[in-house]
Amino acid sequence: MSYKHLGSRNSGAPGWLFQRITGIVLIVAMVGHYILMHYTPTSGHSFASTFERMQNPLWKVFYLSFVVVGIYHGLNGVWGVVRDFKMKRWLSMTILGAMIILGIAFAVFGFMNVLVF
Amino acid sequence: MQVTFSIQRYDSSKDKKPYRQEFKLDVEPTDRILDCLDRIKWDFEGSLTYRRSCSHGICGSDAININGKNMLACQVLIQDIKKKRIKIDPIPGMPIIKDLVVDTTDFFAKYEVVKPYLIAKNPPPKERFQSVADRALIDEAVNCILCGACTSSCPSMWGNPNYLGPAAMLKAYRFAFDSRDEAPAEHLEAIDTSDGVWRCHTIFNCVEACPKEINLTWHISQLKKKMVEREL
Repeated sequence: MSYKHLGSRNSGAPGWLFQRITGIVLIVAMVGHYILMHYTPTSGHSFASTFERMQNPLWKVFYLSFVVVGIYHGLNGVWGVVRDFKMKRWLSMTILGAMIILGIAFAVFGFMNVLVF
Repeated sequence: MQVTFSIQRYDSSKDKKPYRQEFKLDVEPTDRILDCLDRIKWDFEGSLTYRRSCSHGICGSDAININGKNMLACQVLIQDIKKKRIKIDPIPGMPIIKDLVVDTTDFFAKYEVVKPYLIAKNPPPKERFQSVADRALIDEAVNCILCGACTSSCPSMWGNPNYLGPAAMLKAYRFAFDSRDEAPAEHLEAIDTSDGVWRCHTIFNCVEACPKEINLTWHISQLKKKMVEREL
């Protein structure tokens, strides 16, 4: 059988478990984010209210975590889909490499947007 | 009643691609599909090829695809199908040798990967006792007859032929959860690969296909939980 040691500790179990944990975290975080941005006009999406909110370190931590968890969950999910198909090792490794670069780029972009405030 | 059977024909030694052949039969609602295939072979088309052995749902040799669903030909009656046109194909996802006979070499090679036997390092004093509660854990899993209906119906297997498949997973469960087995880790390690248990996405096709009504997806989920417990 093909490559197997891409999860930590050589098992797929941690990756499978973290995917579910981050999924649950994202449901809570995204619902909270959605309510905040779209259903709370007084504290919602104007620049002034966003600037004010982001002065609070707890909100910064929330959004930084949101970025990390979202990128991990999304890219791990895509990687799971990629592995559902039989392909040559060089191709899967190329896709993995591209996804890691994409993940880093998204993380830098997300962090910049949070830390700029 | 008269029923039309549309059967996929293919001889890998001479045909370029499969084609369909139709047969009209007068049947009783209580006839089995296998009875009808026998009549077609014996009375109309002697070259029609399919597997059969016990004809009573035990050997698992006559798994075929009937109107798009994997079933055992010996277990399904005409009245179960409820249609006057019955489409019969070989089970999908496996190379066809001839007509309804598929090559199961890969299926059994994957089955062997999970070490489908009781690993006991020490001889028993007299016999290997098992409590009723421990036996209950493998009650369903021991009913597998290795017909391949589940693995062949699995989209994960269609997408990635390296995937071990639900039948192999069920066998891993059957021994990893057997209280008499002294090396459950060996069965679990065999399926803890990217082509093993993690390729199951709980699609439930295997559950629908299983002629023994085994809930394979539940058993695979228990294997995943066991892996997580083992790792953490």
